[in-house]
Amino acid sequence: MEQTKRTQLYEEHLHLKAQMAPFAGYEMPIQYSSVKEEVLSVRHGVGVFDVSHMGEFFIEGPEAQEFADYLIPNDLLSLDIHKAVYSPLCRENGTVVDDLIMYKLATNKVLVCMNASNVEKDWNHMRQYQKQFNVKFTNRTESYSLLAVQGPQAVPLLENLGIIKNSDNMAYYSAIETTFGRDELIIARTGYTGEDGVEIFCSHQFVGKLWKMLLEHKAVPCGLASRDVLRMEACYPLYGHEIHDNVTPLDSGLKWTVKLQKNRFVGKEALAQYKPKWQLLKLSIDKMIPRQDYPIENSKGEVIGHVTSGTMSPILNRGIAMAHVAQDQYVKDQQIFINIRNRKCEAQLHKGPFVVGGHK
Amino acid sequence: MSKIPGDLRYTESHEWVKKDGEFFTLGITDYAQNALGDIVFIELPEVGTKLEKGKPCGVVESIKSVSDIYAPISGEVTDVNSELVNMPELCNSDPYGAWFVKVKVTTQDDYNALIPADQYEKHCEHAE
Repeated sequence: MEQTKRTQLYEEHLHLKAQMAPFAGYEMPIQYSSVKEEVLSVRHGVGVFDVSHMGEFFIEGPEAQEFADYLIPNDLLSLDIHKAVYSPLCRENGTVVDDLIMYKLATNKVLVCMNASNVEKDWNHMRQYQKQFNVKFTNRTESYSLLAVQGPQAVPLLENLGIIKNSDNMAYYSAIETTFGRDELIIARTGYTGEDGVEIFCSHQFVGKLWKMLLEHKAVPCGLASRDVLRMEACYPLYGHEIHDNVTPLDSGLKWTVKLQKNRFVGKEALAQYKPKWQLLKLSIDKMIPRQDYPIENSKGEVIGHVTSGTMSPILNRGIAMAHVAQDQYVKDQQIFINIRNRKCEAQLHKGPFVVGGHK
Repeated sequence: MSKIPGDLRYTESHEWVKKDGEFFTLGITDYAQNALGDIVFIELPEVGTKLEKGKPCGVVESIKSVSDIYAPISGEVTDVNSELVNMPELCNSDPYGAWFVKVKVTTQDDYNALIPADQYEKHCEHAE
């Protein structure tokens, strides 16, 4: 067994009495105060997450953009410099390796940020295609700490602290390389909560200082449990739940990320012909709480799918779920039930996210 | 450090049992509520249910997880704390006041076999 790794802020988390648990090979903070309080602080104020376990790859060189764009179904090439794009990463057969964000930092430099649990898998997958391009491709996961500062007060706070110099230059899904004193930072207006906010990639030397500055200015430390609730409320997919090795983006509500009009990308031919097996539904129920793998049933009691993620939404005060239902067994807007410990709970179907945050 | 009242008995799975005349009440400990976090749903057995020691008899859900409650003693449920079902957060704020069910037993053997407070304290320290 490989030894569990620690982020630079490990001692800070212990000092704050966080509940710690192993996640993707790291000992990570799951919650500090209360999941509910942490969720509400991000919805109404500002929360800060240590997500230093996440992976960072750099693609640099004359064909950096071409390589990056070839790897993903979404469109990086036509993005302006300093803009970012969310995309699944697919195999030739269209199935999902992972999902990630690519940041076009310069004409010849792309940062890729991915799930901690998939760093090695993504690296091996991407490396297969590298030799066709004139690029330098490096895994710098171990070199970066990463804080997600999220909530309506995140950007105002960072402006107050002088870390963001001018937020007018920082549209939603943009990223800049900047400095704070002598420290180099990459600040991206992205996140995984549905709220406005940024993700700050920085050195291990600087992250402790940044963390303390944020906490001194009333940013609430938030753990992975509240992060999971926030992303479910915003209906963001998570690898291992809505997307995984046996589904394609077209099975999981990610058709908008598959740009078949692109000249080429890994998986294009397969995805162009693919008939989705699943449809991803957004469901809520009263009182009870749906959890991953609970059966989805029709009114006849036939199982037509399963919950991919579920929790209790502190904002709606209802159980919420994303669920896969079989495309050939689901009729649009039909009555849906979630089977919870042999009790059938009628679910309300939602068209959009459960909570619409304030990201802009 | 979690609170562990001296006059209760405990299980290794973090339930408490209180002797109340000829009846027994049970709930989950401070350690358990703290580990679970915000409790948002509780499912309890109905009056008349025969509990079997060590078998699941209810469910406690926090935002992040689902946990079974295991009957610490065998017996028949004579009363259910319906206030708690409507206000599951009482489990967090007052774990030893938030009783789940009242149980009538035929023998006190199960109760006598439960862990006393000092031993339970050691069990919690070991778990940390």
